[in-house]
Amino acid sequence: MTSKSDHELVPVHELMSDKEVKELLQTLNLTLDGLPKILESDTQAVKLGAKAGQVIKIYRRDGKRENPYYRTVVEG
Amino acid sequence: MAKEDKNDRYLVDYGEPVGIIAAQSVGEPGTQMILRSFHLAGIESTISTSGLPRIIELVDAKKKPSTPITYIYLDEKIGKDFDKAAETLKKINEVRMNNIAKRVLENFSKGKIKVILDRQELESEGVTIRQVASKIDKALDLESKVEDNGVVVNMHTRNLKEIRAATINMMKMLVSGVEGAGKGTIRRDESTGEFYLVSAGSNIEGIMQVDGVDRTRTTTNDVFAIYRLFGIEAARNSLALELKKTLKEQKISVDERHLNLIADAMTASGTIKGVGRHGLSGEKHSVFARAAYEETLKHLIHAAAFGEVDPMRGVTENILVGKQIPIGTGSVKLVIKKGDMAKIKPQGGSK
Repeated sequence: MTSKSDHELVPVHELMSDKEVKELLQTLNLTLDGLPKILESDTQAVKLGAKAGQVIKIYRRDGKRENPYYRTVVEG
Repeated sequence: MAKEDKNDRYLVDYGEPVGIIAAQSVGEPGTQMILRSFHLAGIESTISTSGLPRIIELVDAKKKPSTPITYIYLDEKIGKDFDKAAETLKKINEVRMNNIAKRVLENFSKGKIKVILDRQELESEGVTIRQVASKIDKALDLESKVEDNGVVVNMHTRNLKEIRAATINMMKMLVSGVEGAGKGTIRRDESTGEFYLVSAGSNIEGIMQVDGVDRTRTTTNDVFAIYRLFGIEAARNSLALELKKTLKEQKISVDERHLNLIADAMTASGTIKGVGRHGLSGEKHSVFARAAYEETLKHLIHAAAFGEVDPMRGVTENILVGKQIPIGTGSVKLVIKKGDMAKIKPQGGSK
């Protein structure tokens, strides 16, 4: 059985720890709401069991390169 | 030492107005695109909207595309074999009762409905009369019997209204296939020799349930269906891909980073938002920026009534009042800490 996240349109999602988030926000000089958002009810967020306020790291591919992208989990 | 990545040499500088450049880069070639989608008669069975109408559809984040299409990829074994692919297509193809019925006879005095089925249609869809009869029993909770070349439904009533209602329901009933999947065709990928199906529907959720369908590759041009099924990241990828595909069809080359940025901006809130008045532009922080775009009076009156404050940090509002716009060198300010003022010695002064 293939699961939904195996679809080629879905990049790898990963829940970040609080420490990682703190470091990230420091290097980007941002607050949490400066990041793009992902809804708590989003298929991928549900799968990770993410709660509002956490950050999901997304491993986007740009050709051979891997570009990390970050989304804050928000209610909804 | 790690090998130098040439990408790093071309990173965007701070203050570069990437959004404006993206808008212009898409806007100018947009003037060369066909305004009305035209179709060629013949071969192509599934015609999709193309050109400017499609771009507008994507950028406005329309809930349903005007021509939904699903590209159904098959599991490896089935995709190589034409007959097996045709079999899978039969499982997906939406067949309703009125597609296979030749004649419908309602006998009101006996309370019976007889449906004579078209043998050819039945064969081409791969359905037997027996299957049709059992479908009627299950789906509509009626009592039906197979009779030579058709089905007879016994209604146990002579109420004209009831019989008519049952007939209408029966004709609309789904005999085989996936609800909303439409009619599909088989195509062959020229480069890999693999067969895949193209269907003019957008019920990707239902199609995914069919055996033999490759759940990892099957896609649709319905961005919202992708969003519901796979989440916001897949939706942004799909959106960017659709934009790229539409422009490529028109033989227009726009750097994909501009399109990626548009897709990023549209999905930044966690849901898909259009770029127009009801989407991104309507949500700008600045009152002046919103008033300069559309519905000027509405925004100004609302701002006046509620005492909104405009921090004048955006581009539009600063153009409006004739100030330097916060782009490039205009986006930096000089600030001196209070205590540091004293440390500065006048230049060329005496010791």
